[in-house]
Amino acid sequence: MAGKVGTRECHKIRGAQLRDLLDSKHNVLFDCDGVIWNGETVVAGAPEVVTLLKQLGKRVFFVTNNCTRPRENYVQKFSRLGFTDVAEEEIFSSAYCSAAYLRDVAKVQGKVFVIGCHGVQKELQDAGVPIVEDVSDGPDVSIYNFPLDPDVKAVLVGYDERFTFMKLAKACCYLKDSDCLFLATDPDPWHPLRGGRITPGSGSLTAALETASSRKATVIGKPSRFMYECIASQFDLDPARSLMIGDRLETDILFGANCGLDTVLTLTGVSTLEEAQEYRDSDAPEKKDFVPDYVVETIGDFLQALED
Amino acid sequence: MAASKCTRLTGSLVKQLLDSVDSVLFDCDGVIWRGDQAIPGAPDVINLLKKNGKRVFFVTNNSTKTRKMYTDKLATLGFNACEEEVFGTAYCSAMYLKTVSKIQGKVYLIGSNAMRQEIENVGIQTIGVGPDPISGVQIDWANVSLDPEVKAVVVGFDQHFSYMKLNKALQYLSVPGCLFVGTNTDTRLPLEGGKAVPGTGCLVKAVETAAQRPAQVVGKPSNFMFDCVASQFNLDPARSLMVGDRLDTDIMLGTNCGLKTLLTLTGVSTVADAVHHQTSGCPNRAGMVPDYYVDTIAELLPALQG
Repeated sequence: MAGKVGTRECHKIRGAQLRDLLDSKHNVLFDCDGVIWNGETVVAGAPEVVTLLKQLGKRVFFVTNNCTRPRENYVQKFSRLGFTDVAEEEIFSSAYCSAAYLRDVAKVQGKVFVIGCHGVQKELQDAGVPIVEDVSDGPDVSIYNFPLDPDVKAVLVGYDERFTFMKLAKACCYLKDSDCLFLATDPDPWHPLRGGRITPGSGSLTAALETASSRKATVIGKPSRFMYECIASQFDLDPARSLMIGDRLETDILFGANCGLDTVLTLTGVSTLEEAQEYRDSDAPEKKDFVPDYVVETIGDFLQALED
Repeated sequence: MAASKCTRLTGSLVKQLLDSVDSVLFDCDGVIWRGDQAIPGAPDVINLLKKNGKRVFFVTNNSTKTRKMYTDKLATLGFNACEEEVFGTAYCSAMYLKTVSKIQGKVYLIGSNAMRQEIENVGIQTIGVGPDPISGVQIDWANVSLDPEVKAVVVGFDQHFSYMKLNKALQYLSVPGCLFVGTNTDTRLPLEGGKAVPGTGCLVKAVETAAQRPAQVVGKPSNFMFDCVASQFNLDPARSLMVGDRLDTDIMLGTNCGLKTLLTLTGVSTVADAVHHQTSGCPNRAGMVPDYYVDTIAELLPALQG
């Protein structure tokens, strides 16, 4: 396994050391929120870093738990924020990977009941996975009396701004059948918005459904390995020559550890250096996987390292 | 105190148990009624207990009715009961906010009209009850206007639960000092005809997960439900009996508060469940083993009628 066991030291890195690290890696996986942008504000230098890495012959991937947009909208966002050469194939969102899982791994035969925003539904439709149509219920439908679609073979829950008790009740009924799959796009309990505010994430909706159904969801997004396996199935990755860069210890860094990748925590997002150091100094062995190998203030620091 | 646990209550044991207690606390759903139907024999049990000089109380985690609404339902189904004997979580949450949290300010309430009524009855203003669908775009939700007088978020059963409500709860809970109270953690809410919908526990869990902090839970098995009854009626736990259908709420409450406990099998838990807890050897689970069990509380009738 790549990543030197026992040496996860959250070592602050820049300049020549950072250059050496990047030289040793062929694939660079970036989280998005808090790493390359915050909301609609790009992290200074991020577009240039991506371009430079590609010029140096590296492959760059974007691995995000954010399921609110289909990939084609992500391409537009990249372009809007000044990234000139990001292709749809390089973007792996939890919505895209959930669709891929349902179609290629679970090979679901039947429909999927989706609790999810447009971004989630679109990825399923693009992947050719049939979903139960999200239509408004008629006047005689209530939480005491609602129809169920007999073709449902899986329930997928993700961020859904139109989440209602009714959706929860329906999903719970479908999940009574132990053959019905139970998937969640990602475990994030909340997502950061501009100005330090937060909004409830997929994780909070998943928790409601897990409680209702007394079942545990299979989580596609980080820190689960599946998003990495999704990339690897298309692009032949060597974990020893791959680097994961993220801002959230409990998702990005743990994801990197789970997949055998070296990890870099960037401080432009959710987690702080102090939190990383707390995990490092903890006695609990399972907390070691939350400790990044390296720490940078911002990925903008890569520019100086690469240009030297 | 029973020498051994999980004993079938039968024969002379019934009278022995009833003679040893002055007060009997009944859970409602799955014990004295199912949906809108009384468990056969249940009204006679309650009415005869009272005739025999016992005090009877109704202790339910269901937050969808006020004490008055419960009393009306009890009367409709043939139970002699008055408001003072009813302890639902709508009423108990209001008492908790008033006497334990002692809040000075408003409550952002995810819950029913019944909850709103009970909380406002103790002089605390609430906002938030009713449908609240999403509007605007994501950036608006973090900036949703917050009432500065809100000092607590309270979560009970709410069929209008929505992402917007979850979001508002999260925004209020992000204000330092804001309290977080949940009525109960039951995972399902029983309806008539044996159907059930997701319970308040799911909604509390959603808010706890988003806010990354636990709620203070009022309902069984929290001691507060018993304390609420005991403080008003001066109960001696050693001479009180808790009758319920759920091991993890009713029986656990009874054990924790030093009551005798009786499991009835007309609801959620089974004898096998109880035996599992008993043989687990796990100290946390010992509290979920009842002293006695019956198939239905109607089995108490012969001893009461004799």
